[in-house]
Amino acid sequence: MKTFVPLAWAVAANSFAESVRHRFFTLFTVFAFTAIYASVLAGVMAVDEEARVLADLGLALMELTTLAYVLFQASSSLLKEAETKTIYLVFSRPVPRGVYLAGKMGGVMLTAAFMLGVMGLMHVALLAFRGFPVPAGYGWALAGSFMKLAVITAFAFFVSLFSTSAVSTLVISGIMWTLGHFVSETRFMAEQASGFKAALLKGTLLLIPNLQLFNARDVMGAACSITPAAVFAGAAWILAAYFASLWLLAGKEF
Amino acid sequence: MTTNAVSFAGVEKTYKRPRLLGAVYHTAVQDLSFDIPAGEITGLLGLNGAGKTTIMKLLTGLLFPNAGTVQVFGLPPSGQAAKAKVGFLPELPYFPPQLKPGSALAYYGRLSGLSGKELSLAAEEALQRTGLEPHADKRISEFSKGMLQRLGLAQALLHKPDLLVLDEPVSGLDPLAIHDIRKLLAGLNAEGRTIFLSSHSISEVEKLCGRVLIMVRGRLAKTVTRAEWEAAPGGLEAIFVEAVK
Repeated sequence: MKTFVPLAWAVAANSFAESVRHRFFTLFTVFAFTAIYASVLAGVMAVDEEARVLADLGLALMELTTLAYVLFQASSSLLKEAETKTIYLVFSRPVPRGVYLAGKMGGVMLTAAFMLGVMGLMHVALLAFRGFPVPAGYGWALAGSFMKLAVITAFAFFVSLFSTSAVSTLVISGIMWTLGHFVSETRFMAEQASGFKAALLKGTLLLIPNLQLFNARDVMGAACSITPAAVFAGAAWILAAYFASLWLLAGKEF
Repeated sequence: MTTNAVSFAGVEKTYKRPRLLGAVYHTAVQDLSFDIPAGEITGLLGLNGAGKTTIMKLLTGLLFPNAGTVQVFGLPPSGQAAKAKVGFLPELPYFPPQLKPGSALAYYGRLSGLSGKELSLAAEEALQRTGLEPHADKRISEFSKGMLQRLGLAQALLHKPDLLVLDEPVSGLDPLAIHDIRKLLAGLNAEGRTIFLSSHSISEVEKLCGRVLIMVRGRLAKTVTRAEWEAAPGGLEAIFVEAVK
């Protein structure tokens, strides 16, 4: 533990710096700003509901833009280090693989937090420009988005350790992201079904992270939109993905 | 009693390449046994595919043997204690092009457990020893191949390792860079560091090493000492050609 934190922090800080220096980061930020600004049009069309539409659409766009970037980073991070042989310089040093993995995951999560923060500021400025206050629970909505992104980042790292390309990792993680938003519906279907179909659906539910738990923007205005149980579930998903990734990474040769 | 920096005993490494149906196996090194005494410069010669890089990776814990044992100062190479004693220069090392050499060294220094003043001193010293000090303000994207190789050496030297494992350290370098690196390695050896290097350049190995291992198709074909090749007609080159034919 004495060396875990400084080493993991060194890897995370390096990974974060590389992420934000990447030319795609600027492109994504410009895209996000354009998309958030374009949501003004939708807001204007909503007439009386302009503030709500502007807030909801902006938050959704921020989440999706960050999702695209963190999935791109998480799916290519380890692959790129192996291809460029940078990983030789890391694993020939006294850096335990678990520490390196934690640092890499942490770096991408830091990038997600940073992107959400930057876009959040743009969004709040836009709301102010239109004369609307920051909606109640806005911070919780951002925290919820971050939790979802952290869970899917950890999952993408796990997939990247056995998939054959960054594209397949992106696709599998994208599917998991989508399924994670339909857990209630899948549970309903499992309750309605019987026999093998019910068992299959119940089994699937065990494997899919319930990302609906973190949809705090659906209940914006509530005093605390993310329950401790949701935070615990998110942490458990991240840890499960981390240990599964570590199990794969520990036996990997370079 | 001489301490061994490196010890290979009956080592075998087979690569498995998965195919649609089953897998293809390729044995890179087999029945490999040798020792490298501490404080020596030992060279590793062989044709392409002879298993040189595999040996380097087994030594640095990047690969695991299928059979036999590898030890670094009596320790398993995948352990943290052994890794702390090793500096590794892979063939054609990569560094993020937008960084300056000091930043790259700072990152690898942190990973070697250095911090604060100790880290900045180690990075400064490594830059100076490898002749990169005048280029400290340049970005790595502006570096020539020789400068990248020097930076690769600098990162391997940061934590003052007892054993340096160098995979093709002079590959593709101009004569002046080769001369400088040879001088640097001789200096490091004079400080008591063990150096194990692989190369395609027989003349370089001849100039630097006290002992040479010749690999042929994954097996150790011959171990030659400096006294032996100096006494042989045609020198090390003749011995090498004879061994690989």
